Amino acid sequence: MSDAVLVIGGGIAGIQASLDLADMGKHVYLVEKSPSIGGRMAQLDKTFPTNDCSICILAPKMADCYDHSNTTILTYSEVKEITGSAGDFTVTVLKKARYVDAKKCTGCGECTEKCPAKAPDLFNMGLGTRKAAYLYFLQAVPRVALIDREYCIRMTKGLTKDGKPRCGVCKDVCQAGAIDFDQQDEEITLNVGAIIIATGFDPYDPTSLTEYGYRRYKNVVTAMEYERLICASGPTGGHLKRLSADGRDPKTIAFIQCVGSRDLHHNKYCASVCCMHSTKEAILANEHDPEIHSYIFYIDIRASGKGFQNYVARAEKEYNVTYIRSRVAEIAQDAGENPVIWYEDTNSRQVKSMTVDLVVLATCMVPRTDAVGLAAITHTALDEYKFFQTSPLAPVDTTIPGIFACGYCQGPMDIPESVAQASAAAARAAEIVS
Amino acid sequence: MSLEDIIQETKTFYCLDCGKCTGLCPVSRYNPAYSPRVMLENALFGFQDDLTYNHDLFSCLTCYACSSKCPGDVDYPLFIQKARALALDAGQHGDCAHSGTVQSLARLMSNPGVSQNRLEWLSDGLRISTQSDTMFFVGCAPYFEHIFDFDSGAIDAVKASLKILNHCGIEPVVLPNERCCGHDMLWTGDVETFRRLAEHNAAIIKEAGVKKIIFSCPEGYRTFKEDYPKYVDINCELQHISEFLADRIAENGLDFSEVKRKVTYHDPCRLGRHLGIYEQPRKVIAALPGIELVEMEHNKEESLCCGTSAFVNCDSCSKQIRVDRLLEAKATGADTLITSCPKCQIHFRCAMTNKGEEKGPDVEIEVMDLVNLVANALGDGHNE
Amino acid sequence: MSEVRIGVFVCHCGSNIGGWLDVPEVAEYARSLPNVVFAQDNLYTCSEAGLSQIKNGIKEHNLNRVIVASCTPRTHEPLFKRVCQESGLNPSLFEFVNIREQCSWVHMQQREAATQKAKDLIRAGAAKASLLEPQEDIYVDVEPRALIIGGGIAGLTTALTIANVGFDVKLVEKEKELGGLLRHLYKLYPSNEEAAAVITPRIEAVRNHPRIEVFNDSTVRDVRGFVGNYDVIIASDGKEETIKTGVIIVATGAEELKPQGLYSYDGQKVITQMELEQLLADGNVSATKVAMILCAGARIPERTYCSRTCCMTAIKNAVLIKKQSPEAQVYILYRDLQTYGTEYEEYLRMSKEMGIRYIKYSLSNPPTVSDGGVKVYHELLGRELNLETDLVVLATPLVPHSDAKELAKKLKVPLEQNKFFLEAHVKLRPLDFATDGIYLCGCASWPTDVEQTIAQALGAASRALIPLTKGQVKVEPIVSSVDQDKCIGCGICEYLCPYKAIAVFPTDKGDRASTIVASCKGCGVCSSHCPMMAITMQNFNDDQITAQIAALAAV
Repeated sequence: MSDAVLVIGGGIAGIQASLDLADMGKHVYLVEKSPSIGGRMAQLDKTFPTNDCSICILAPKMADCYDHSNTTILTYSEVKEITGSAGDFTVTVLKKARYVDAKKCTGCGECTEKCPAKAPDLFNMGLGTRKAAYLYFLQAVPRVALIDREYCIRMTKGLTKDGKPRCGVCKDVCQAGAIDFDQQDEEITLNVGAIIIATGFDPYDPTSLTEYGYRRYKNVVTAMEYERLICASGPTGGHLKRLSADGRDPKTIAFIQCVGSRDLHHNKYCASVCCMHSTKEAILANEHDPEIHSYIFYIDIRASGKGFQNYVARAEKEYNVTYIRSRVAEIAQDAGENPVIWYEDTNSRQVKSMTVDLVVLATCMVPRTDAVGLAAITHTALDEYKFFQTSPLAPVDTTIPGIFACGYCQGPMDIPESVAQASAAAARAAEIVS
Repeated sequence: MSLEDIIQETKTFYCLDCGKCTGLCPVSRYNPAYSPRVMLENALFGFQDDLTYNHDLFSCLTCYACSSKCPGDVDYPLFIQKARALALDAGQHGDCAHSGTVQSLARLMSNPGVSQNRLEWLSDGLRISTQSDTMFFVGCAPYFEHIFDFDSGAIDAVKASLKILNHCGIEPVVLPNERCCGHDMLWTGDVETFRRLAEHNAAIIKEAGVKKIIFSCPEGYRTFKEDYPKYVDINCELQHISEFLADRIAENGLDFSEVKRKVTYHDPCRLGRHLGIYEQPRKVIAALPGIELVEMEHNKEESLCCGTSAFVNCDSCSKQIRVDRLLEAKATGADTLITSCPKCQIHFRCAMTNKGEEKGPDVEIEVMDLVNLVANALGDGHNE
Repeated sequence: MSEVRIGVFVCHCGSNIGGWLDVPEVAEYARSLPNVVFAQDNLYTCSEAGLSQIKNGIKEHNLNRVIVASCTPRTHEPLFKRVCQESGLNPSLFEFVNIREQCSWVHMQQREAATQKAKDLIRAGAAKASLLEPQEDIYVDVEPRALIIGGGIAGLTTALTIANVGFDVKLVEKEKELGGLLRHLYKLYPSNEEAAAVITPRIEAVRNHPRIEVFNDSTVRDVRGFVGNYDVIIASDGKEETIKTGVIIVATGAEELKPQGLYSYDGQKVITQMELEQLLADGNVSATKVAMILCAGARIPERTYCSRTCCMTAIKNAVLIKKQSPEAQVYILYRDLQTYGTEYEEYLRMSKEMGIRYIKYSLSNPPTVSDGGVKVYHELLGRELNLETDLVVLATPLVPHSDAKELAKKLKVPLEQNKFFLEAHVKLRPLDFATDGIYLCGCASWPTDVEQTIAQALGAASRALIPLTKGQVKVEPIVSSVDQDKCIGCGICEYLCPYKAIAVFPTDKGDRASTIVASCKGCGVCSSHCPMMAITMQNFNDDQITAQIAALAAV
């Protein structure tokens, strides 16, 4: 029997659930796959409808969660096996080697600067590269560097003819002596009474919507890519500019809603938050440059949360945002690499084209690809869309007693709903371990 | 069938009113009065007369550009097909092009008693038999020679197909009493004529005892594959010649001589979006040594229709669609526009004759059927 | 007094501050101020890196005062204070200067002026910081009990959860029956299960729970006290009773708007969705030509919000009508369909399969209802439709109860512009009030469906369980303090105090005012009105404020 709780996933939902339980005096193990907690919210620039700086409101929770005496945060770790039942689960966690001693690393960034090897920068949605020795992002918690074994020269290229490793720059420059190439993956066994799944979502890849030209046309980006472009900690330092060679500042932006959502050819459901996040992104664009005019192409505006309708009204009145009722048919490109949008304006029943500087696709959001594996490990059921199955009257209970799911991993929802659900999962877990 | 039945069968009620269909529709680009979405909505609210007496009911190309992307998965072309049957009951049949010759021919052929002289085009080099397991379906190609005053290329394609089959060791059955497959009849709402044609074709095919039918016309192919089974039993393996060639090339390869050409490929609606065959014609083209294939801006599932379907409502809008497509082909820098549909070939060639008042920009590009491209590279290496 | 050593940390806040004024210049200026021995700029002071720098700064430079110049104290003040405390510095020796909401964000296109203003604000902050004194934390015990106001699905769920974990619960419900809105509903979407089947087991579980006491037909008369120690006076049947409670949860729900004067509403031929539910429950719907008008009384200039639940309610009721009478024709007239998520989108498709048809109308061209028909301009079709109807159903929004305002006053919690209760932070603290120890959930906060209400109720229970399980909470030492030598016992402070946190007591010198420390919220009303200037606010005393003003005035 155990009164500890395992939380799988260190986004805002996982962090909130952990904090609630830790504050209640329960010990929480928070397992996060990536090298830092924070999740999707750490990638956003600002959040609707308050336009709070996302990392500003998230970072204190990350810090609280990490510093709390009742939490053990295991980042760069994955759950491998779970046995047992409610009240008494045995969990095997694989803690991947960072090749950096967390106790010594100061997060100074020297290794990152000097590392010669490059890797795709997933935190920045693939816009630009990072190094093999890196810090996941500037405000990462824990602030400990790591070496990506798939891109590190020393680890992938073998020894030289003379039997020497091909690189060791990071170790040479680390003043704290924190680099440890001999570090091993670690298997950790935990005993917990309840489990909370909070693994969040992945953005849907719109490449298969060939009519929208994603990856074909440089100035067609996804919403998450846009967030990184407009965020001060992103690849352009928050300077919104086109990805085509001209790198111009865009003056007109089109936001295309329901890309791969509400679509029987892709995902049948509505991702619930895109009407609002596109509105926010359009507002931010105009804040960056008052000359920017944004167009949001929608089918039904979903602004039913607290303060949302007013937010949309403000966007129209104060931030030069025009809403056009239309699901965009196709996106072409003119000689200047400017996207050309073809659509039927359903209110006027006219087919029109519009040339803009930048297109942002509000893609659907889908459960993470490893949700299926996690469902197998936990024996919980997934619904037809691969969200963790819950029921309307027990919204955070999975099909296995003692295992709960909260946030987007169980259905489309925004941050306040995820936070409320996280507390709900904490309450349910508390009922078991109290 | 009532309008409500049609709605239920085609699931038009799933329509989200999003406008994606209309935004994609090639007809809507040039005809502001036409909107697939508005046509559906009118039906959903029971405005049947607005549907059946609408001239534009026959403007739809049934090309599936809309439905292939429709988020409600509404089968709009099927809706149009069924609605046209209702319209025919009300005496509406759209504007038949070329004085209705093609439609009249189909109707003539539906008469069981009619006898035809269909095989005159067979020349010495081409061999058919009555014993083969494999049949080659010719379709209306022999008649097209006499309807258009430009070289439609239809019978050339048939001959080339036969040359290809012969080269591959097949002397197919070619039936002297074939009838029109009925595609245009079905798609303009004349289900009765379609049924008679289907029944006749089914009977003669059964009598011939063949096990496999190869088509060079995607409309015939689609009709046999998707539409005939609701009316008759064919019980044969069906294949388009591009599929046949792709298989053959993959298995043993074919001895092609060099083809120094830059070509682009136009996916016919009936082969592409209707049946999902995009790769096989491309594999065939790629197998020709020396050839360079450049894709048009709209290709595969996004391919643009050639602008006319079922020889109905062919107007300046159709011409504009065609010219746009030809300009797209030109923009690739290719010398030749390859297609694998006799109808597409006819419509493209027609557009370049600059007939009538609908003058568009002058576009000149060679239009050729895939089978001609292949046949020319076979055997004697004669490269036209 | 030992040497004052101030450290100033100026934050870029990404580009939120750094993008609009010259942060390094401001940091350099700070270094030049009297008593400032160390100044630094950080990209994100609230991040792990920034916090480490504060800790290091305190250690290395022996700081005994810390100033962070960044965002609003509402976000991170507790965090920075904790960091100071962990480094051995009394948290009251920390001063927050807001150069974001009060500077960079309101002077976005005036870089030089904003930079100067930031310097001025920090100069003032440093002047105050020099006069800060250490304060001791105040701890109060938490009464191991929760009081829940509202006995609908939200209140019942919260009650059960808290009671299951082991705490005493008092549930106050103003109606004679428990159950709230669900008592008036027939079937719930998306599962179409009966509302009664959902609410009845919960009511029974609550009534049978040994730790839950229910007060029906009761209202909250008054609320006194502070987190952990609330005295709630409830009135039932003319009698009053005081309940001591550690935490309070507001689960008072909302009510359906009765659309008087809208669309010829008469409660007979034109009815609301809830009225329809009653008819459906009784099997009394004989209508075969139904039109439902959505956004009736919502998303209009007088009431701008979207009530979130009405679209699905209407669609569900339309489906139920079709199930009862498959031949019925049902039209739904909408503006934007809120069928978000997975199940609701699926439900919408199902409703279309059943033959329910959707007509979009616009705010500028609403439908008109007359006897036997509804005229509506279908925006997307571009034509006016004349619908023959024998029943019109209006989907009206949920609105706050008329007594919500009273309750808010008693609890001293805010309402937002539509008069729903306003939480501490719309994104990250949706279930807490800014006032410690009071929580909210369900439609009292915002219109919400049953599934989300249950999630929020469970969540509110979790939030409430934190102080309950801790048994103790910390109170901020920003409280009033009376110099009894100056006080003349006039009683103005007691009269004015909104928290009843200061009162006049007899002493051997005469009547003198004295602060009830744990109730005091540090608002300063008493101090500013005291005719003898006998009251000072700790951490905001007269000397400190005067020093700030003087520093601001100095150029």
